[in-house]
Amino acid sequence: MTNKTSPTFSHSARTNILWHRRLGLSVFLLLIFLAISGFALNHSPALKLNQIALSNNWLLSWYGLEKAPAKGFQVDGQWLYHNGDAELFVDGTEAAPCRAPLLSAAANDNGLFALCADSLVMLTPQGQFVEQFSAIDGLPTALQGLAVVDNRLYLINESIAAEFDPERWSISPAPMAVDKLARSQQAMATLPQALAQQLEQHQSGPSISLETVILDLHSGRFFGQFGVLFIDLIGILICILSITGLIAWINRR
Amino acid sequence: MRRQTSAAADRYPAAAFLSLIIGLTLSMTSLAAATTAARGVFQSGPDFIAECFASQPSEKKTLWLTDELREQVSKILGHPIAGLRVRYHQNGSKTAWILEEIGKEMPITIGVMVDNHTIQQVKILAYRESRGGEVRYPAYTRQYQGASLKPDLSLSQSIDGITGATLSVWAVNKVAALALYFDGVVTQQRTDA
Repeated sequence: MTNKTSPTFSHSARTNILWHRRLGLSVFLLLIFLAISGFALNHSPALKLNQIALSNNWLLSWYGLEKAPAKGFQVDGQWLYHNGDAELFVDGTEAAPCRAPLLSAAANDNGLFALCADSLVMLTPQGQFVEQFSAIDGLPTALQGLAVVDNRLYLINESIAAEFDPERWSISPAPMAVDKLARSQQAMATLPQALAQQLEQHQSGPSISLETVILDLHSGRFFGQFGVLFIDLIGILICILSITGLIAWINRR
Repeated sequence: MRRQTSAAADRYPAAAFLSLIIGLTLSMTSLAAATTAARGVFQSGPDFIAECFASQPSEKKTLWLTDELREQVSKILGHPIAGLRVRYHQNGSKTAWILEEIGKEMPITIGVMVDNHTIQQVKILAYRESRGGEVRYPAYTRQYQGASLKPDLSLSQSIDGITGATLSVWAVNKVAALALYFDGVVTQQRTDA
């Protein structure tokens, strides 16, 4: 049995403890930060970190985010646009739930139609929410656009187009080619200034979730390539710290 | 025995610590797998309708929500309903409804088949919450069979809850009551016509 006061306690053992202390002192603050941030990330859904939006100007410019001009679709004399969150707006009024992004919009005698990320929203010609169709109702998946030709509504995806009748709740193959229908789609345009200003009041603008920031800090990506290498270095130091700690424990025994 | 285990842990602390870490990791993995399994689309709307009516053809119909109906629906759901109309399928006294209600944060898509004002089948078509997915099991949904609507707009029979899925259970209860209410409305409309 050896201990550090006995003559047999080697010089190398003392050096090991010395370096263990030095390493421990060097990394202990970062180690605590990594542990706490790792804990937060592990429990992110429970802590709702992805729902906490940070929109500090400095942070946004650090991430290279700039406010894009507000855009929407003008159909049947009305502007349909999205607030970037989960609502569809029609001429300044919140109209219906709609998961971003708003992909396309069209109008026929039945009303206005907005294609959201996972559903097709139907509105009255005055912009009142009628109902929503999704894949579970039999709507084709991966839809990219809407077109109205001869008052008929067509759903377009990459390779197929289908005619959709919301009144009869039926979907049938389109009698014309996808590219021809795609050309009939309404193009997205910049919103008039009055609506854009109103939208700015409704929406929070670009933001970054707290989860993303913590994840980037935890991995070092927040500080670019240098930060990643720095965290790698801390990882190596933690490994050495564990090994020197183990050696110290063995020496004590 | 306990002393032996404790002695072994004292003797091989590293091994004991390693076992603890492996045990915790395995537990966390099982928990994550269970959470993932709770979410999903289990049946499409058209498939549910086909299952409800088997080989009999059903008619696609629409129920427009008047102000009076919306008021009653708000009482059942506890909040206003979105949209101006609800679609359903009908064949004789049978109606089938595909309705959505939010459990905790995400909507649950629920199929309900009603025959002669009593529930024949409740099925969870899509579940999007991270917890509480047990409501989709037939052992739970079978409880709704035979339920009808009481004058106070509640279900005629009590439904046993599920620990940890209270909000999802409430959502299914509300949708079951709503489907029965809608069924009563369309039956009345047909009688009046």
